[in-house]
Amino acid sequence: MHLHYTPEQEKFRAEVRAWMEAHVPKEPLVTLECKEGFDQHVEWERTLASGNWGMVTWPEEYGGRGLDLIQWLIFEEEYFRAGGPNRANQNGIFLLGPTIMEFGTEDQKRRFLTPMAKGEVIWAQAWSEPGAGSDMAAISSKAVRDGDHYVITGQKTWSSRAAFADWGFGIFRTDPDSKRHKGLTFILFDLNTPGITRRPIRQLHGETGFAELFFDEVRVPVENCLAGEGEGWNVAMATAGFERGLMLRSPGRFQATAKRLVELYRAHEAEASPSAREAVVQAWGAAQAYAYNTYAVASKIMGGGKIGAEASLNKIFWSELDRSMHRTAMLLLGAHAELKRFGNGQINQWLEGYIFSLSGPIYAGSNEVQRNIVAERLLGLPRVGAG
Amino acid sequence: MDFRFSEDQLVLVESVRDYFSGTHGPEVLRRLDVDGNRDPAIWQALVDMGLTGLCVPEAHGGLGMGLVEAALIAAECGRVCLAEPLVDTAFVAVPWLIAKGETDKLSAIASGDHKVALPHVLNPWVADGEGKPQTSVDPLRNLAMFPASGSNDDRLLNLGALMNAAQLLGLADAMLEQAVEYAKIRTQFGQPVGAFQGIKHQLASCAVAVEFAKPVVWRAAAAMQDGLETAPVHVSHAKIAASDAAMLTAETAIQVHGAMGYTYEVDLHFWMKRSWALVGGWGDRSYHYKRLDAAVLGGSIPIGPEHTFA
Repeated sequence: MHLHYTPEQEKFRAEVRAWMEAHVPKEPLVTLECKEGFDQHVEWERTLASGNWGMVTWPEEYGGRGLDLIQWLIFEEEYFRAGGPNRANQNGIFLLGPTIMEFGTEDQKRRFLTPMAKGEVIWAQAWSEPGAGSDMAAISSKAVRDGDHYVITGQKTWSSRAAFADWGFGIFRTDPDSKRHKGLTFILFDLNTPGITRRPIRQLHGETGFAELFFDEVRVPVENCLAGEGEGWNVAMATAGFERGLMLRSPGRFQATAKRLVELYRAHEAEASPSAREAVVQAWGAAQAYAYNTYAVASKIMGGGKIGAEASLNKIFWSELDRSMHRTAMLLLGAHAELKRFGNGQINQWLEGYIFSLSGPIYAGSNEVQRNIVAERLLGLPRVGAG
Repeated sequence: MDFRFSEDQLVLVESVRDYFSGTHGPEVLRRLDVDGNRDPAIWQALVDMGLTGLCVPEAHGGLGMGLVEAALIAAECGRVCLAEPLVDTAFVAVPWLIAKGETDKLSAIASGDHKVALPHVLNPWVADGEGKPQTSVDPLRNLAMFPASGSNDDRLLNLGALMNAAQLLGLADAMLEQAVEYAKIRTQFGQPVGAFQGIKHQLASCAVAVEFAKPVVWRAAAAMQDGLETAPVHVSHAKIAASDAAMLTAETAIQVHGAMGYTYEVDLHFWMKRSWALVGGWGDRSYHYKRLDAAVLGGSIPIGPEHTFA
């Protein structure tokens, strides 16, 4: 256990800081859940890429910098210190990218990773279906082999970024006689392929970030299949591991929220209750705990370890922390909490953040499912219904 | 930057855990509860493993290890609900004596001949000390009212709080394991109660609390070891995180045990009562909360994403 940065790591931090200070937009971007905001966020992805900051951990040949996970954490800390915007391409760089790195062919890596790192292709996820939400193994959308293509028919829903993104990824049933986890295949598809209809869904906050996707005999080349036919479930679980366990929510995001919460508390100190005060202090403690844990996970992976079911502990922790920090902010804001813009015209980011935080315990596998995974795979309790 | 334990540290923990799991089960606590709480044979085994001298410099007959190793072993002591005063003597008193430059008793401590019970003004009594006996809810604690006022040294308090936090991690781990084992074998409505989500989700929440308390305690141990100016803040953070995790796990574990959990017959009560005792010792939750509050809102520790290891 050695909890000090090396001089090289400090130097790297200074480099990131200088770049971010020079490039992060001074005014917050419009939410990426609408076309105008999405375009602004894509523009930001390209600005990041111009500094070669798209995805620092990837090898240089795929548009990265070949850095390690500690350097990635430093990058993320500085990103959130500077108030960097949400990443339009998070489904690509944090979920699909690591999955392609692990399962993709050399050709797939070349085709997909570099445009992803450069922000040229923005990715949507397509996991859920109307009948397969928490129970993802109930997927029924079909992909039927026809020569060197799959023909996809079915429906996906809650596809984040799908209203405006370029490409999507998901798992489809390639063996019509299969059940549950077998016979599924992980397929990447161009969202503009003929036969795909997107229906944006208006979300809680009124904007349209995710969408339903309808597939009507959509022809996708076989080379867009990742890791072989029938391997879909295993590949998807690896993606979910990245999502829940490490990359999707780096600690800097929550440490930045905790810091803003402290500032909010100071502005409302005179009228704030002792319980709100304690919640603010606890928020700092929990965000720090999350950061230490992430450094521990990163250190473990760098030493050759893997993320297993403990990713579910992580997902429960960050999603509930995020919700509780924003709830505290809403309580501190009191009567002002309901305003979409404050009197000075500033967007009420706490309200937006609170609404978004309510989705955290639901997406990436609901926290009820995560608690089942923790109970069954980490604690060894019997599966539901076992006699 | 590497937030992993070294191979040597892991081997040390494993050897102590193996020893305890083979020799120090709940039946030992039951025997001690009947036979007077302390057993020279257990103490001698701790001495033979080198644990009394873990932090004693090699020149004084010890192993010369640091606070991270001590915290790791303190967690193992919590895991088996060890009653012998190893943690207070070897992991609290020894580092404090070394910090003060008082080395004359160190070799006697390493050899197991000298036990130290240090009073602090925040602790009105001390375990395994001399003075008017006090009855603790923990049947194995051997409390004594300290006759004179104790030290008010902050370093002593921080060492005590850190080691209580580490023990609480082990206690919480053990209580969670006991509850899980019980939930696997207790059958109702035709299935193990642990197959019900109402049980699973509560136990999973304990696992989350314990998992995220651990790195806070290790961070505090490293901060103390490295002599960081902010170490007291980290110790208070650790004490709160470990206390909250242990209290939650204790209450959940008794609930999962049902009526059996409310008996003296089930082992759980030893761990639960030790947890209650350690949560209040070396600065209670309010004390450590106030220190954290002063640091976070008062500005004595830098906060924000770039200050993870402040």
